[in-house]
Amino acid sequence: MNTVGMDLGTQRVKVVVLKDGEIASRGQALSGFDPAKAAEQAVNEALKKANLKLSDVAYFVATGSAMDIAPYANSTVSMMGADAKAGVFLFPKARTIIDVGAEEARAVKCDEKGIMVDFVVNERCAAGAGVFIEAMARALEVKLEDMGPLALKAERASPINASCVIFGESDVVSLIHRQEPKPEIARAVFDAMADRISSMIHRLGVNPDVVLVGGVAKDEGFVASLNRKLGVNVMVPDYPDYAGALGAALTAATRAKETQK
Amino acid sequence: MTNETVGKRYMPEISRREIDELKSTMKAASQKVMAENIERMKKADPKRPQAMKYFDEISNLFGKRQEEIQAEKEKGKKVIGYMCLFAPTELILAADAIPVRVNSGWYDTSKLGDRVVPVEVCPVIRSTIGAKMIELSPFLEQSDALISVLTCDGMTKLGEILSDYKTIWGMNVPRIKDSAHSLRFWNDEIKQMKTQIEQFTGNKITRKNLKEAIEMSHRATKAFRRLQELRKGSPVIMGRDAMLVNQTFLWDDKQRWTEKTEALCDELEKRAQRKDWVCSPDTPRVMITGTPMFWPDNWKLPTLVEEANPQGIIVADELCSGERILNDPVGVDEWSMDDMLNAIGERYLMASTCPCFTSKDGNEDRINWLLNKVKDWNVQGVIYYVVRGCMLYAMEYTRVKKALDKINIPVYYLDTEYTREDVGQMKTRVEAFLEMLTARVDI
Amino acid sequence: MDWNIIGDLLRLIALGGLGVAGIVAILIWKKNLATRVTLVRLVVQAVAFAAIFYVFSYSSIIPMLFELIFIFGLTIFLGRFFCGWLCPLGLIMDLEILARKALKIRHRVLPDKLNLALHKSRYAILLFFLLLPILLYALDPQQIMVSPLMAQLLAGYYRPYSIVLDPMIPFIVPWTGQLVVGSVNLSYPYAQEITTYVGANVGSILAVAFVGVTLLGGFFIRRVWCRFCPTGASVGVVNRFKGFKWAPMLHIDKDEEKCTKCGVCKRVCPVQVNDVYEQKGGKIKTSQCMLCARCVEMCPYEDTLKVKLGNKTLFKSRNWLEQTKSE
Repeated sequence: MNTVGMDLGTQRVKVVVLKDGEIASRGQALSGFDPAKAAEQAVNEALKKANLKLSDVAYFVATGSAMDIAPYANSTVSMMGADAKAGVFLFPKARTIIDVGAEEARAVKCDEKGIMVDFVVNERCAAGAGVFIEAMARALEVKLEDMGPLALKAERASPINASCVIFGESDVVSLIHRQEPKPEIARAVFDAMADRISSMIHRLGVNPDVVLVGGVAKDEGFVASLNRKLGVNVMVPDYPDYAGALGAALTAATRAKETQK
Repeated sequence: MTNETVGKRYMPEISRREIDELKSTMKAASQKVMAENIERMKKADPKRPQAMKYFDEISNLFGKRQEEIQAEKEKGKKVIGYMCLFAPTELILAADAIPVRVNSGWYDTSKLGDRVVPVEVCPVIRSTIGAKMIELSPFLEQSDALISVLTCDGMTKLGEILSDYKTIWGMNVPRIKDSAHSLRFWNDEIKQMKTQIEQFTGNKITRKNLKEAIEMSHRATKAFRRLQELRKGSPVIMGRDAMLVNQTFLWDDKQRWTEKTEALCDELEKRAQRKDWVCSPDTPRVMITGTPMFWPDNWKLPTLVEEANPQGIIVADELCSGERILNDPVGVDEWSMDDMLNAIGERYLMASTCPCFTSKDGNEDRINWLLNKVKDWNVQGVIYYVVRGCMLYAMEYTRVKKALDKINIPVYYLDTEYTREDVGQMKTRVEAFLEMLTARVDI
Repeated sequence: MDWNIIGDLLRLIALGGLGVAGIVAILIWKKNLATRVTLVRLVVQAVAFAAIFYVFSYSSIIPMLFELIFIFGLTIFLGRFFCGWLCPLGLIMDLEILARKALKIRHRVLPDKLNLALHKSRYAILLFFLLLPILLYALDPQQIMVSPLMAQLLAGYYRPYSIVLDPMIPFIVPWTGQLVVGSVNLSYPYAQEITTYVGANVGSILAVAFVGVTLLGGFFIRRVWCRFCPTGASVGVVNRFKGFKWAPMLHIDKDEEKCTKCGVCKRVCPVQVNDVYEQKGGKIKTSQCMLCARCVEMCPYEDTLKVKLGNKTLFKSRNWLEQTKSE
């Protein structure tokens, strides 16, 4: 049985094709102004990779901020629900799944079946999400993917305000003017973000194992900062940005079985 | 004498033309919102009870009730507004005056309130200030005097700010509840309020009048409790409908409201017998607690919950704009003036679960209320609703969460503002929460 | 076969029947849940009054001892149920409350501290009155000559147990002739003791003053005597023995979660018991409570307060708005 999960995020659409419980292929596209069209593209790309046709797919599940306008979708699942499913699928011992995306950070507490028990979401502020790093990289005039390696070179971090992206950016600019070394500023950016996210996770309780997914999980600078703040080693899967789509595909598999009954 | 001002100490100068312009646009917008809310409520329950028609009509803040009050006013009756549930409405009724609650639920006017107080202040307060600024709220305009109960910081200063326009009677609430001393103090406040109301209205509050007023509120409480009892079983009424019924009590004629609510309950009882549920009995049962939600604009959370996918149904709440209005009767022992006044004092102070109180056990009454509702109303999840700036409710969350965790009931802290812009974000969270509840039901 | 005893028994049974009929009538007629129990209690009190009156009119030692045994036996299971439901002096004070209510006069409340102090002092009062006869006997050489101590204690005027039985003496029982005021024979709790111990002349004046003060007190302060009654203390003492722990006790039980702490229970309590309000659920442990169940009756929240015998619920709080008359 084949199922497809689509994650219509704020920046990218991610798609995972699941073939009898195994990941068959992945696909992605930029959301742009028309996430529905982007989703169509990504689905077709992934299906092509897996040598499947649309009609071979038993069930589609959509998730992500634009899930209501997803094409093909038989049903939807919340981002938190999808994260929990994917986290436990990837690491069976996972009980806390942290998902840091472009514009939202969330943490989900789940049981051994991957059913979410509790969750928190960062509140109306992007300082705990991916765009914060993006804005800071812009201020530091380094490439986004260079931020992580840069931060790892630092021994200490400069002080920085992380209550808001805008204020954070002006903080960074003043640090640059004071000629603080760039690695230390980069590390400060990650530390500030990890600080916000860890205090959010502490409201849930840090239950090991902790898994970090979402686009920002690819940034080793952030992972290092978060490990320091939480005092545990968070686990990062391959393709962490596809976790939402994977969770949706897993949900699709369960729902397809239910409908067959 | 009503609109005599002591000189504007707080309110900014605002031209007549601007007032009129803003008022007409915001009134039009509000009427649209009310119509839309009711339309959506009708859609949610195709077999909506006939009796709801009355409440739809009375919920129109610019409609029938406002005209009625105006007519009574012209006959010489006084209107006494209040901002907190602590105002002893029985005394107002006994003095043949009309009690109305004047807190505002308009999103648009909260932006006007920003001209007087900073944005960090609770939007309920800002919105009420804004409504007064442009004379939007008919009930607030009609009030001859306002009872300002010093509960939270916002309410304390709101009375002060509104004193630019209205006669304000402060009522000082002791914040430590479980001492004989506090009760004595509060009972004295009640007695003083009685004298004040008597002098202002020129009507003496006699033993007979007060007894009648208390009996009237007993009848209302009886009808009200009957409605909440009906929400214990499989759903026969949408939570939003029940919440609207509860809230209309704040401005409606008490006698008529009671009759109409009893009629609604009759209808719902028949519906329960037919097993004609408004949604599947498996729908996750949600309770809302936290900051009060005022009609018409601040209806977004109930709407979201009951229109979400998966759907939820609100079966109970712990809001001072909802079930707290009439839950507790005035327990009179001897019907002497003294005992009646003490009973009124106790009903308003002691039975209240407002977070402005503390005691040696903290605000335990509120925890008990929540635990009891969870058990008896079979609640599966609690949404803890807080608007930004509502310190007291925000700070009690941790304790509530711990208490609910102990009985394994999920609770979600949802914070928002007086704004329509975050509906999308809220929807994501509410839906994730309901999905979680559904998953738990499936196990 | 003594036909008198059978006749007496029949009369007592008839009285009981009358009481049951009265209770049934109230339950059918009275729809207002907030006053029903109080009325039922009045009927029970009246029947108990008549029964005790009857027993006392024998003026013989045997029925009195029998009564003593009966009350203490009852106490093992029912605690201070006697005080709330059977005591004749209690009835007198409840009638005073009714009269005051009819006159629309407010009652006065004792400060909590004083109330508690009075309650605690009742053991001292009890001990004092129990020892007083022996003391007086020892001080009175003439009596020692006339009769032995035991006879004096049982049949003479120095009866220590009268402190326990006295509140049961009906208000006016002319033919027992305990306190003569002018041409009227008054019988009132402790009046006899006062005249006996103090002497007839001063004692009579003191006794009349005592009657006046307690009656006046009872009019303005609900059940004022019960706050420190030594009979209540002796009844309560029985419950303190561990040996009786096996007996299912009558008590008030509270469901903490349903309680909103509205304070009604505290205000309506005729002896100002705070424990029902303050205690965090479970069995209410206080020797102040006399189980009149007024708090249970007035509690406006369903199932919050209960009168329980052991684990069995006899009566519980209801949403009393349900049956208040609609107009």
